[in-house]
Amino acid sequence: MPLKDVIAPFYVWKRAFEKPYTTAKPIEERPGAASYRGFHTNDMALCVGCGTCETICQNEAIDMVPVPGIETTAKDSGLRPMVDNGRCCWCALCVDICTTGSLRLTNEYIWVSTDSDGFRFIPGTGDNPWDDKALGYRRDPGYRLMDYERQDMAMLTPEESARSFLEVVKGYSAEQARKEAERCVDCGICIATCPAHMDIPEYIKAVRDGDFETGLRLLYRTNPMPATCGRICTHRCEEVCSVGHMGDPVAIRWLKRYICDQVPESDYADILRDQSTSNGRKVAIIGAGPGGLSAAYYLTRLGYAVTLYESQEKGGGMLRYGVPSYRLPYDQLDKDIDYILSLGATIHYNTRVGRELRFPELMADFDAIFFSVGLSDPYGLGVEGEDHPRVLSGLKVLEDVTHDRDPDVGRRVAVIGGGNVAMDAARVSRRLGAEVTVLYRRRIEDMPADPEEIHEAQAEQVKFVTQAIPVRVEEGPSPRQVNIRWGEAEMVADEKGGRPRPVLMEDRIHTETYDSIISAIGQGGDYEFLSDEYADRVEMKRGKVIANEYRQTTIPKLFVGGDIANNTADAISAIADGHQAAVGIDHFLSSGS
Amino acid sequence: MKQLFDRLQALFGVTDFERKRDDLAFLKVPKDHAEMLIRHLRDHEGFSHLVFFSAVDYIEDDIFRLIYMLHNYGTRDTLGVHVDIARENAGMTSIHTLWAQAALYQRELKEMFGIDFPGSPGVDEDFMLEGWDEIPPMRREFDTRAYAEKTFFPREGREKSDPRTHMRKQFYPNWGEGE
Repeated sequence: MPLKDVIAPFYVWKRAFEKPYTTAKPIEERPGAASYRGFHTNDMALCVGCGTCETICQNEAIDMVPVPGIETTAKDSGLRPMVDNGRCCWCALCVDICTTGSLRLTNEYIWVSTDSDGFRFIPGTGDNPWDDKALGYRRDPGYRLMDYERQDMAMLTPEESARSFLEVVKGYSAEQARKEAERCVDCGICIATCPAHMDIPEYIKAVRDGDFETGLRLLYRTNPMPATCGRICTHRCEEVCSVGHMGDPVAIRWLKRYICDQVPESDYADILRDQSTSNGRKVAIIGAGPGGLSAAYYLTRLGYAVTLYESQEKGGGMLRYGVPSYRLPYDQLDKDIDYILSLGATIHYNTRVGRELRFPELMADFDAIFFSVGLSDPYGLGVEGEDHPRVLSGLKVLEDVTHDRDPDVGRRVAVIGGGNVAMDAARVSRRLGAEVTVLYRRRIEDMPADPEEIHEAQAEQVKFVTQAIPVRVEEGPSPRQVNIRWGEAEMVADEKGGRPRPVLMEDRIHTETYDSIISAIGQGGDYEFLSDEYADRVEMKRGKVIANEYRQTTIPKLFVGGDIANNTADAISAIADGHQAAVGIDHFLSSGS
Repeated sequence: MKQLFDRLQALFGVTDFERKRDDLAFLKVPKDHAEMLIRHLRDHEGFSHLVFFSAVDYIEDDIFRLIYMLHNYGTRDTLGVHVDIARENAGMTSIHTLWAQAALYQRELKEMFGIDFPGSPGVDEDFMLEGWDEIPPMRREFDTRAYAEKTFFPREGREKSDPRTHMRKQFYPNWGEGE
């Protein structure tokens, strides 16, 4: 026997004194690799509860659940993901798709428990020992499962648009629309913010599927003016879009427009099949703007005989007489209106209630009345000399253009105000060949106008002078001219925590000469038509009519909507009011309450 | 690595050279030249180690992309060889003659993607999906979610909320009711 074989058994004993290679559980832990895919954690403040993680999970390991202390807001469903680790396979698709980047995996992977329900947990509550672990799998910043960039919209160049009333936005191609629709993660957070609560994810899905008939039917369930809203809606839905947290929000408004653009008006009746049987009741609607038209549509569908009274020669209200055709071409507005009226409502144009007929007569003749007359009385500038003949009202300028009348703004124009009417009046004046300056008392970021309108006005060479307060209007050098004295303002923080106020600096006063000054600083309601008998009985607050959630005023058979009743004062809110009032009127007349 | 690529380009018609790191690069080769190229890399360029062998389903392009990951111990370079093959009747020359352990990868690819490697030892045997009677699960047309739904019962007491319904309940419960 060789000597080696004799020694060997004793030789290996020395190993007993060496450090072992195995890990002594549970005395020693072996940490997971730095990017290991272990248990989930979630940044609760960053997460918006969109549920995209739940949707993508192929093993159905994730449930969205309410969590105490997390509130539902416009941008946050208030739900948070709960993970069943009995089903999770740690593929991390949920992390890769997360719209905010709040969800990630830690490198913690050891968990011993006899309670099988314990393996279902809400990541990020702080109750899990690994919630604050920094290491673990995160999405690589350069890696995206989603397309963050919005499809570019073809538009007229500023040079082209400043010279014509052609529609500025050209609309998506089929390919662009499908790609844009594919960016939607179908979370539905936007629905709550839309005043009309349109089923946005479903109609976007219809675009994705190329099924425009379904798309159109979905639009009309909550909004009978989609061709219009697809162009000029204030699209607050896009402000809360969950895709917007890391990329551009989905172009919801333009996808809506795309559906309407694909369906010719002649096909609407066949697709929508809006049929109803008369219930023998009559409703009068005062004002054929978006609110009145929306109410007319839903009331007609419910079987009511609807009569509309419109003071202008055509319907549409502010959409026709306040929105220029380069933003909303008249044929698109007419497409919406024609279909609504085709369902059988009667409309009397050039008929102002309070002039051609009296309000008490309507109260006597109809079972219910909805009024949505809008804000039509422009506010004055409130400075000395404001009655000068060269001071024009913004609304009047826009209305003249709609009527094909020359508003005679001249070659050098100042527009006072920062809302959409001011932007439109400025852009219309540019198209009429004028040099335009907008004077606004606060800063650009304080302007109530849509940001797109401001950008497009700037692109069309409208000059903006901000923190400028009109002081006095004076005679100009010639009868066709007018002088304005305005002063620079400094922004002073509001002690009560409100937005900063502009304060005039008395030593910085300027005088400029213009051919006209267009005043566009807002407008108020005109309630004279209600007549003395009813005016006192309709409750108002700060110039707005008070109504309950069904838009019912303090007079039970009188319902209200639109700019005179809501604080958002946009088309979609008026449309929502009209819809909800129709439901309210139906409740009221069916149950008598 | 760039010099290597230039040499291989002349010999095998490789394309799409992409350098990811100093010591990591990828290239693409037509299916018919792949086995020759890999043999050449092993025998003449020092890539003696098969790190792994995998596939990706590019269903949109109707192809599977095979990825042969090779390592050179002398230079410490890693080279990924991409080979696109048709999804229909997917098959590829076996490389078990170059590395015996390739047979195991090929068995896995047969089971997970349905890619055949004629002649590869045990290629038709179960790899890990014992008793599997669905289409290969890594093919993209396999509906993992539907399979999970029908195979794994939901835990009792599981409840979930949908963001849109939940928000409606909180913000506008009576909206549009009555239609």
